[in-house]
Amino acid sequence: MTKPLLLKGIDEPGLDTLEVYQRRGGYDALRKALSMTREEVLHELEVSGIRGRGGAGFAMGKKISFLPKGAIDKYLVCNADESEPGTFKDRELMQKNPHMLIEGMIIAAYAGGINRAFIYIRGEYELQAQKLEQAVEEAKRAAYLGEGILGSDHSLTLWVHRGAGAYICGEETALLDSLEGKRGNPRLKPPFPANQGLYQGPTLINNVETLATAPVIIRMGGEEYAKLGTAGSTGTKVVSVSGHVQRPGNYEVELGIPSREIIYGLAGGPPEGREVKLWFPGGSSAPVLTADDLDVPYDFDSLAKAGSMLGSGAIIVIDDSTPVVDVAMKTAKFYRHESCGKCTPCREGTNWTVKMLERIDSGEATPMDLDIMAAVQENIIGNCLCVLGDAMAMPIGSMILKFREEFEAHIEAARARNELATTDEAPPEALIQGAVA
Amino acid sequence: MVSFTIDGLEVTAPQNAMLVDAAKHGDVEIPVFCYEPKLGAPVGACRMCLVEIEGIPKLQTGCSTPVKDGMVVHTQTDRVRQAQEAVVEFLLINHPLDCPVCDKGGECPLQDISFGWGGGRSRFIEPKRHFQKPLALSPLIAIDRERCILCYRCVRFSQELSEDYQLVLEERGAHTYVATFDGHPYVAPFSGNIIELCPVGALTSQPYRFRARPWDIEGAGSVCTLCPAQCNVTFTVRDERVLRVLARDHAEVDDGWLCDKGRFAYQAVHVDERVTHPMIRDGGELRRVTWERALAEAGAALRRAKGRVGAIVGGETTNEEGFLLQRLMREGLDSGDLDSRQGGTLPLGLHRALAVPDAQATVPDLEFAHAVLVLDTEPVDDMPIVDLRLRKGVRRHGVKLAVATSRPSSLDPNARASIRYAPGAGEAFLRALGAALTPGGGDVDELAAGAGADAGAVRGLAQLLRSAGEDMVILYGERLVSGPRAAEAAQALLEVASALNVTGGREGAGLLCVPAGTNGRGLAEAGVLPNAGPGYAAVDGGRDAAAIADGARHGELTALYLLHADPLVELPGRDRWAEALERATTVVAHAAWLTEGLLEHATVVFPAESYAEKEGTITHPDGRLQRLRPAIGHPGETRAEWSVIADVARAVGLDLGVLTGPMATAQLADAVPFYAGLTLEEIGGKGVRWQTRAAAAALPAAEIQPASLQIAPSAAPANGRLRLGTYRSIWNAPEVRVSPSLQFLHPKLRLEIAPSDAQRLELFPGDHVVVGSDGHTVDATVAVRSTMPEGSVFLETNALEGPLVEVRRA
Amino acid sequence: MAIDPQRVPRFGHGSRVPGWDEAADLSKDPAEVPDPATTPVPEDLRARIEEYMRRYPDPRSAVIPALHTVQDRYGWCSPEGIEQAACVMRLTPAYLLSVATFYDMLFTTPVGRNDVFVCTNISCSLCGADELFAAFHEHAGEDPEFNLRAFECLGACDIAPMASINGQYVGPIRPDEVPAVLDAVRRGEEPLPDRQLKYRKSTDPNAA
Repeated sequence: MTKPLLLKGIDEPGLDTLEVYQRRGGYDALRKALSMTREEVLHELEVSGIRGRGGAGFAMGKKISFLPKGAIDKYLVCNADESEPGTFKDRELMQKNPHMLIEGMIIAAYAGGINRAFIYIRGEYELQAQKLEQAVEEAKRAAYLGEGILGSDHSLTLWVHRGAGAYICGEETALLDSLEGKRGNPRLKPPFPANQGLYQGPTLINNVETLATAPVIIRMGGEEYAKLGTAGSTGTKVVSVSGHVQRPGNYEVELGIPSREIIYGLAGGPPEGREVKLWFPGGSSAPVLTADDLDVPYDFDSLAKAGSMLGSGAIIVIDDSTPVVDVAMKTAKFYRHESCGKCTPCREGTNWTVKMLERIDSGEATPMDLDIMAAVQENIIGNCLCVLGDAMAMPIGSMILKFREEFEAHIEAARARNELATTDEAPPEALIQGAVA
Repeated sequence: MVSFTIDGLEVTAPQNAMLVDAAKHGDVEIPVFCYEPKLGAPVGACRMCLVEIEGIPKLQTGCSTPVKDGMVVHTQTDRVRQAQEAVVEFLLINHPLDCPVCDKGGECPLQDISFGWGGGRSRFIEPKRHFQKPLALSPLIAIDRERCILCYRCVRFSQELSEDYQLVLEERGAHTYVATFDGHPYVAPFSGNIIELCPVGALTSQPYRFRARPWDIEGAGSVCTLCPAQCNVTFTVRDERVLRVLARDHAEVDDGWLCDKGRFAYQAVHVDERVTHPMIRDGGELRRVTWERALAEAGAALRRAKGRVGAIVGGETTNEEGFLLQRLMREGLDSGDLDSRQGGTLPLGLHRALAVPDAQATVPDLEFAHAVLVLDTEPVDDMPIVDLRLRKGVRRHGVKLAVATSRPSSLDPNARASIRYAPGAGEAFLRALGAALTPGGGDVDELAAGAGADAGAVRGLAQLLRSAGEDMVILYGERLVSGPRAAEAAQALLEVASALNVTGGREGAGLLCVPAGTNGRGLAEAGVLPNAGPGYAAVDGGRDAAAIADGARHGELTALYLLHADPLVELPGRDRWAEALERATTVVAHAAWLTEGLLEHATVVFPAESYAEKEGTITHPDGRLQRLRPAIGHPGETRAEWSVIADVARAVGLDLGVLTGPMATAQLADAVPFYAGLTLEEIGGKGVRWQTRAAAAALPAAEIQPASLQIAPSAAPANGRLRLGTYRSIWNAPEVRVSPSLQFLHPKLRLEIAPSDAQRLELFPGDHVVVGSDGHTVDATVAVRSTMPEGSVFLETNALEGPLVEVRRA
Repeated sequence: MAIDPQRVPRFGHGSRVPGWDEAADLSKDPAEVPDPATTPVPEDLRARIEEYMRRYPDPRSAVIPALHTVQDRYGWCSPEGIEQAACVMRLTPAYLLSVATFYDMLFTTPVGRNDVFVCTNISCSLCGADELFAAFHEHAGEDPEFNLRAFECLGACDIAPMASINGQYVGPIRPDEVPAVLDAVRRGEEPLPDRQLKYRKSTDPNAA
């Protein structure tokens, strides 16, 4: 692994203050950017090839270029509503190095000709919101924010806006509604935020990590940055690894390294004597992969080819001690709880799925219910207003597909407990609880 | 127009039409629940309208996808069928399917769509949610949350149409439900529309609950005559009873909405209090008699009083009734003393000037104008449905709204400029505005001070109006051009309108008057004015309403003919009217119920038809003649009132020559030059604006006297006392008082007062007070309102007349 | 005719949703935008909400900050507090309630003053969060001092199983440590200082 770009020296005492950040060369990238034209800055971001680090993986430079030109009220919103289960990378970046994000936002705003910015941070991140607010105050006092930044013609106001606990607000249009003081319901697209976003104005929405990388790209040059990673997935990525691993945490890796290297090499793999049974490569919304997929390169395209996605870059490892039904249940309940309720398939489908899983677990189901459950997931996918419904249906669908045998055994075992079994033979315990007794 | 392919058919449809609408041009129905264009931009929530579009991998919502040239759309493929069946199955997961006991059964989109597009089965075997139901959402609306499919139409109506923001969603996801704040009822002027919007049986009408099934009922289209908005309605009729009123969408009148008075006051048609047989006063009491007796009595009395009869005509009177009555008066009783205006005469020239087609704005103009000035009227009270139209204009078309009133307006939050002037100082305010609009037009500071208005605000308003754009509408209340200085006020209005180029004949610009009575415009045009015959023809001047009262008080008039009017409760000058009614020998009244003045003073009472029984026409404030069609038969011995007037005429020796209702309409059309040739057929179900017909040119030209140089009298200085303003709320109507389910809305007398005045007088909200003026007093409770202008108080009454009142604790 | 739910067996099952059974109280007036003349608002509350309103091009954006402010002051989004915020923001209380009930961190029923949000999402539950929550529930479930909630992913899977205690992230916590944690909170101290997230160093070996 080359030197990390975002996590480098992240534990240096006082990095969250302007003084230390500047001592380490902070805001130099901004000075450099302001000495360039907007088009040049945009060009660097475009050739860097950086794709959004929040989940959808859309090219950042292209996103900025979609904004209409000209002197109209445009907005930059940093999506800091990091709520995807398994993801905690933005938390560490904001808490320990808030100025890097602010610098990145000023640069991105400059490239897009934007004068108003907000950081929408999830309500639960109190400490991080405080750190950001302090940093914004410092940056304002140092004239990095406000009118005519560093003597340029670029102006930017920036406010930290705290959410109040709703996963759906990580969806960009729901975030906009929430920021406008409404319930966080996703909007129909089109219109896309680049044309009609916050207060109906053109809006650029980027994830924390994406924006925090902007100073790095300006410093090293887009072309240099693009040399890192793979052709379709340039640069480095902070990966949150959690679940059944020995060293859970954030690891910055060059995109394209084998997944095994992250899960085993960096995070230490499952506890002694256990094996990886399944893993989410990109948060709980990604279809699950199995031990067979551990050598898939960790980048956007390879994971898509393997039938899943890189998502927010959060690996959740589940070893063979945990029944897949439990994982499915946690997943489904999460999405039921977080469904905003606006569109039918998601609102009703998540609810129904949980009820079926509960029946499977309590021994009131038959294998036919698995078919119904799989069909319900099919009925959700592609039919919803936003991606939340799909985000449950895809992993649940993949679990049924890949672990059907275990589901059926679970059903039988649960029925046996209820004396409803259809066969006399109890299924082997190992199949229910995994290989480890 | 663009052409596209849907299910293999080549179809042309308007550019930018949403697919669900465009599909109709090819006779293809795409099912919807949440889509309702009247509620604004589509939300795409229910997912019922998913269609396949070639070239787009995912299914798209037909409600939010505009049709494009060459688009190829499929609604019948396996993928689409599967998605439709999936959505229906999802929606029915928690729906109780209690259709047998549901009011919506038989007219329910959920039933229809489940049948048409559902899979006919459910794989959901989990227990459904069950709750106690129905629950009261308000005294008018019941909510059944089991049945709700969360299409959000009702909350969108509350938030984006009526903007009362009382009805909201609470909780999230599958727990989401429709509710109000902290158990408060959803009571708002337009709340009933959510019943009609609900595509399932979740919101039902309390009064209609379990009254009928769709196959028991018939729909009868007519027009609501309870206010000048004249919304188009469909009466739901079962066994000769009106059981419900639904909107009959007319984009140029009501936009498909109804106010709650219009929706629920139909109950007044069938209440016991209603007069359904003729009566005469006998031994001091009104007693039931035969028609022959009543007609003979009335005929004899009126014949005796010939030349000394005055007539007051109420706002709900049809054009035909008004027209026939003025014939009876002028031709049969030699009397020109008749009036349909409450607030005094306007010179004929001004009547004509205000009625010219070039100066006329329409209801849709309010929505598409660059700017609208609301002047001396509170639309939600005076012409409720216009309130929704104004909000829509501001919200969707960026109309710049300005409000100039004495009493704070519910439209203030939507207005770019809101300005207050002293109660009754409308003319003075117009002079100030006129001065601000015209360079060298006068001393704005002085004129504004005289109107009790802020000079800076007047200048700001003038600036706003001048720069707003060419399409400007002035929506003004009739009260502005009423009272002793009605002529001067009308002149001031015309001057301001002319300065703003509102009356220059520009399409989309003009004046729109909110009359005090439902058919105020039609009655004026039919000749029910003391100074104008049919078609604003010049006649010898007769007495206006106030002069009729005085005439009766002084014995110059001995008989009064009250057509749908009780001056004691409706007209200003209560004391004078009490005296007039007492003194008159004969008081003939057409009435649906016996209000105070009739109960004590009427000598002959003819039962009045309700609007559900009437045949005839009325004229909308923007000149649209609309047709009333009888939905039910006459209850008891009630008769068509055009025939009653004809019978009375015959009894006084005049043959009006009308044998049928349409004959009366034909006579009217002959008599009013600018109605010439109009037939009921032409008016049809949607009405006709006479200004759009060739005969419109027959309106006599306006001759306006040169502007008076008089300065408008200044608003009375308060000097420790308070200026009195009066108003009449939407709920202050006899139909509201007698309709069982609406009674709770009938207003109690409240004294609206500014916080500073309340503090000075040591009054607190809810205090009982006595409000007095010139020796008269009324009791009221104190309502402190922060928006109330200091020095003015408002009362919903005509029992007191200002300008100044004293308030003390009871 | 009202149905007595006690006598109808079908009311006995099916999922229950709070609020769904509530009818409107017809004796109340409709809840319109509160009139400042009759809705006293504490000055500090007004000042804070107005400060938030100035931050945004559309003052309505201050709804969530305003509700946080109400909750800070009253401990929960009480009807009175919501009415006061509605009065300052010129919105209906229903609008604010609608927003408040959408979000997990805004409480529209009274809650204990110490927030204990235990993450029970996938990663934490793989590491024993359900047992941890059970332990919290056993020791503080009935304690009116505590606002104990099982939360969805709090974004701290690296310290699983964890809890957000009065806004501070702590973890990993063993179930047997729960009584001590609660005691520390009761005393107003920082529980398990060695496991506060704010002191945690990065795990990435290359980060140094």
